[in-house]
Amino acid sequence: MDAADRQKDVCLQTLELTGSSDHPPVVLACRKLSGVQQSEGCCSVSVAFSGLVTQESCCRFTCELLKHVLYQRQQLPLPYDQLVYFYQRPCQQQQADELFQKRWCTNLAESKKCQRILAELEQLFGHLETLFSLTLVPRVLLLLGGNTVCPRELYEVNMEGIKVGNGEQSLKTSFCMQKIFRTLFLADVFSDLQSPAIMGAMLLVQGHRDCGIDWFRPKLAYKEPSCSRRLAINLSCCDMTLAPALHEAAASTFQDYIWFQAPVTLKGFHE
Amino acid sequence: MNVVILAGSLAYRRVLIMEEAAGDLKQALPNEYDSLQIHVEVHQRSNSAAKTEEIRSHVLKLLDRHSMVFGDYTWTEFDDSFLIKNVESVAIVDTELKLKDRQPIDLNTCRLSVHIFHLNEEGPSTENLEEENEDLVAANHWLLPSAEFHGLWESLVYDTEVKSHLLDYVITTLLFSDKNVDSNLISWNRVVLLHGPPGTGKTSLCKALAQKLTVRLSYRYRYGQLIEINSHSLFSKWFSESGKLVTKMFQKIQELIDDKDALVFVLIDEVESLTAARSASRAGTEPSDAIRVVNAVLTQMDQIKRYPNVVILTTSNITEKIDIAFVDRADIKQYIGPPSSAAIFKIYLSCIEELMKCQIIYPRQQLLTLRELEMIGYVENNISKLSLVLNEIARKSEGLSGRVLRKLPFLAHALYLQSPTVTIEMFLQALSLVVDKQFEERRKLSDYI
Repeated sequence: MDAADRQKDVCLQTLELTGSSDHPPVVLACRKLSGVQQSEGCCSVSVAFSGLVTQESCCRFTCELLKHVLYQRQQLPLPYDQLVYFYQRPCQQQQADELFQKRWCTNLAESKKCQRILAELEQLFGHLETLFSLTLVPRVLLLLGGNTVCPRELYEVNMEGIKVGNGEQSLKTSFCMQKIFRTLFLADVFSDLQSPAIMGAMLLVQGHRDCGIDWFRPKLAYKEPSCSRRLAINLSCCDMTLAPALHEAAASTFQDYIWFQAPVTLKGFHE
Repeated sequence: MNVVILAGSLAYRRVLIMEEAAGDLKQALPNEYDSLQIHVEVHQRSNSAAKTEEIRSHVLKLLDRHSMVFGDYTWTEFDDSFLIKNVESVAIVDTELKLKDRQPIDLNTCRLSVHIFHLNEEGPSTENLEEENEDLVAANHWLLPSAEFHGLWESLVYDTEVKSHLLDYVITTLLFSDKNVDSNLISWNRVVLLHGPPGTGKTSLCKALAQKLTVRLSYRYRYGQLIEINSHSLFSKWFSESGKLVTKMFQKIQELIDDKDALVFVLIDEVESLTAARSASRAGTEPSDAIRVVNAVLTQMDQIKRYPNVVILTTSNITEKIDIAFVDRADIKQYIGPPSSAAIFKIYLSCIEELMKCQIIYPRQQLLTLRELEMIGYVENNISKLSLVLNEIARKSEGLSGRVLRKLPFLAHALYLQSPTVTIEMFLQALSLVVDKQFEERRKLSDYI
């Protein structure tokens, strides 16, 4: 039995004992774990869920946070989903948005840049989905500017505290998402920074050595950089069950969790 | 049919030569190689996540099966399924830097150091210094080992032991740092200055050296960083700001050096523009802002030299223009001249080899190396005929720079051949013509000036 199976097994057994996640001690523990910590050039936001989370949800969190950061750091002129909405519909159907279309579709060079980044992001999200289905992903890094060992800004999604459950026993993705973004908005982490230039964005994900993904490039010698401004988003579950958190599940094979780099450098654009 | 016989007889001849040489050597030098260090570079596939130790053990097994090699050798095809899946190439490299001649080497008696590396496929990233001026790139920044510089070291051919000198220099630097030699008593500055006429591969050599050292020292540094400074971007339009820009640039470099896991190479191309002789300013030909730049560069370099993981590589065409205080600081001042006819022969040989690989020169014919020509005493026969022609062309090309030489095969094809495949005889003829033309052009140019 591999680690993931064993983990699921434990989850099933323990969930019956503790019942639902409305359990008062659980809610209390969650409050304690959630919060914001800020120091110079380094900020961390913690979000604790009151239950288990599925791997697919983790994948969604990563993708949504990625979109959010790119927009907030002004690498995209509009939120990703809006860009998709305006660019990927055939132009003649856009009478209602005529004004908008004029503004966006007239500039051909810009439109090309936009098409390119949207295509790259879509591809990236597809591969992330595959990756999350193949391996546990304890951490994800989004790096802006510079190169992978010395970026200008670093955004980390830390999921080491997540406890993975199956569909029925886990919290809904939308519920968790609300919680994440609510915490982010309250923490107000994106407001105090200056308007940045367009920077290359690189994505690194931690996964199991033998997960068999071939789109991502393994970086065996990679060490996370220390020289940049960073924001860490820590996701965890404070479910009162015995289900092991990701870092515990991966502990026995910790050496085998290595960094993989997405082989694209995303380049956003200004309007 | 002719070709097959020729190739066959050549192969036989080669075997004979090598066996003879091997026999001679074994008698003459029984214990010479006991402590010979052989470097094996293993290029791991970009999608391979295999553990280093595992690859090492498989590579050692491979080397165990093929323990006798003649000089440098590269394996790209393997029987071992593990190696097929995980390894691009296994190469025994730089044996000719230590051994003057191509000799048989018994790997069992040598110390093997196996270096396993992944190439970084992304191109250089850029650094800007002035916030408002986004387009002005102050430095290019590579993560090493980089795919861009792969094979560069091997493509550089020099007569004197430039390459081994440079390698040994850095190894000694590291040794001194390791043993905590007091740098007040014995000082070394980690500055290398390469100078010589244009087109001799100074900049390429710097980049290749950085790549090579990153691979060689991968056991103690996780990665290398190469920062190529565009020296013109350090001069500000504001009077007295240039010195500050230099300081700012070195501050960025300092950040990189602070990471103890990184080996940092700073490449300053055409260094004379940063360190123009201060004495010129006394004559009133240099503005005083330029003096501040020289001062800033010198003080910053003194700052940096305390750190063990940095090497400053500089190149220059006009050495007499460089400030004496800078020249003093350079540990190695290596002159890189135009290639000799022996080096030219090697360069041509590698060009022809490449064209045969791409089947532009077809059918494939084996050419002898200069060493093999020497062995048979330059006697003309079926095997050596072509090589002797090439040697003649090489001799004729003396005085041309490496940059020109590397483009001659291209020009030969463009001007005199034009067909998609040519025989080697036709190609050599065209090469000879294009060399003549090159000198002709040069003569005309100097006539008009």
